Amino acid sequence: MIYFDNGATTFPKPKSVRVAVSNAISNFGANPGRSGHKMSLKSSEIIFKCRENAAKLFDIDTPEKIIFTLNCTEALNIVIKGILKSGDHAIISSLEHNAVVRPLEHLKASGIEYTVADVVPYNDDLTIDNFRNAIKDNTKIIICIHASNVFGVKLPIERIGALCKIYGILFCVDAAQTAGVVPISLKDSYIDYLCTAGHKGLYGPMGTGMLIVNSDILPESFVQGGTGTESANPRQPDSLPEKYESGTPNLPGIAGLNAGIKYILNKQVSNIANYEIRLAQILYDKLKQNDKVILFTSRPDLQHSVPVISFNIKGLDSEEVAGILDRRFNIAVRAGLHCAPFAHKSFGTLETGTVRAVISTFSAIEDINYFANAVKSITAAIK
Amino acid sequence: MESNIIMFPSVTFAMKGRNILIKNKINSNIIRTPMHLRNKSCGYSLYVGRNINDALEILRSNGITILGTAAVDRL
Repeated sequence: MIYFDNGATTFPKPKSVRVAVSNAISNFGANPGRSGHKMSLKSSEIIFKCRENAAKLFDIDTPEKIIFTLNCTEALNIVIKGILKSGDHAIISSLEHNAVVRPLEHLKASGIEYTVADVVPYNDDLTIDNFRNAIKDNTKIIICIHASNVFGVKLPIERIGALCKIYGILFCVDAAQTAGVVPISLKDSYIDYLCTAGHKGLYGPMGTGMLIVNSDILPESFVQGGTGTESANPRQPDSLPEKYESGTPNLPGIAGLNAGIKYILNKQVSNIANYEIRLAQILYDKLKQNDKVILFTSRPDLQHSVPVISFNIKGLDSEEVAGILDRRFNIAVRAGLHCAPFAHKSFGTLETGTVRAVISTFSAIEDINYFANAVKSITAAIK
Repeated sequence: MESNIIMFPSVTFAMKGRNILIKNKINSNIIRTPMHLRNKSCGYSLYVGRNINDALEILRSNGITILGTAAVDRL
């Protein structure tokens, strides 16, 4: 199968990831951070190494601030529900995923409101103006996606962060589509909370994600329980990472995530970004030549984009196109709304959805050519 | 008997501390904090032997949370 559904989860995973997961189950599957025997310490060691490697990837000196979660959605929920209180206001972008929108909708019943700031693609000045104009006296946090999971458009997070700093507002970034895909440095940044999946651009297994707390303001935890620390204390510890990591962690998943992050560190994110954007540009150019293909963004480039191409074919439903690509050409893509109705509303595709192809480090030029030819075959059959 | 272990609130801090000490050429071993020293809690310690004062200074200067020190008979 030619796999371009890397925005949902990357496939294949590096061999080192598969080996690490298998090892964690086969050779040292003891509960980490609970016991003192060798196997438990070995498990703890793997988890700590993953924290260290993640800290290195995101340029932060404190591995204990790397919190393991189930996925990016859980990380975002920890921040949103742990920071906002009745009477507070939040600002989000018009490209947000439901991982941000739905928790905020849920919180409306608790007296929390939010405003959507329109992102103007390729015009950072107007985008920043829209965020600035949405700020109120009770705005506590801005939460925004680093790059749209549907259209690949990057947001000017450095400038939004600077805006937050000026106004004394917390800043949370959803890096589900950008971690491992574009360089991210938390050092000297204004990002207070970085949330990401482990199974996308970091090539870990599903069931892994991270919250990176880059602030002294700690969200309240919404899951409490055993941490292997302060056991006689009935209250949840405030120390990191235990405050947010109750219960037995996903050792095989984190072992795989550690291998995935090492894979990224070895390749270097800047090289990955160059390679993937180049392939995205080639795909874009080939699709652009087809007058029956509708593209929704400008040609991808490193400054404005991640390697995501969203398109439709005139006269066909997006799900139908994905179905044909799967059945006739053995190509995996995702169609529909991609859990991001706000983004589709912004681009005028809420009714139709789009077909989305996302490049990974395993994508090759041959895959791009095959994909473009498959689309050409489909459009040639349309009268 | 002089102190020879440094106690931490979690295995994360014990491992972070161990790595900082390695960079400063001080070897240590991670052990489970003995029950009678835990103050009804859980935790991990670094057995550092005779370099404990140097180790403490390095760890404190690196912002590592330390619960205390103690003497144990053996590893």
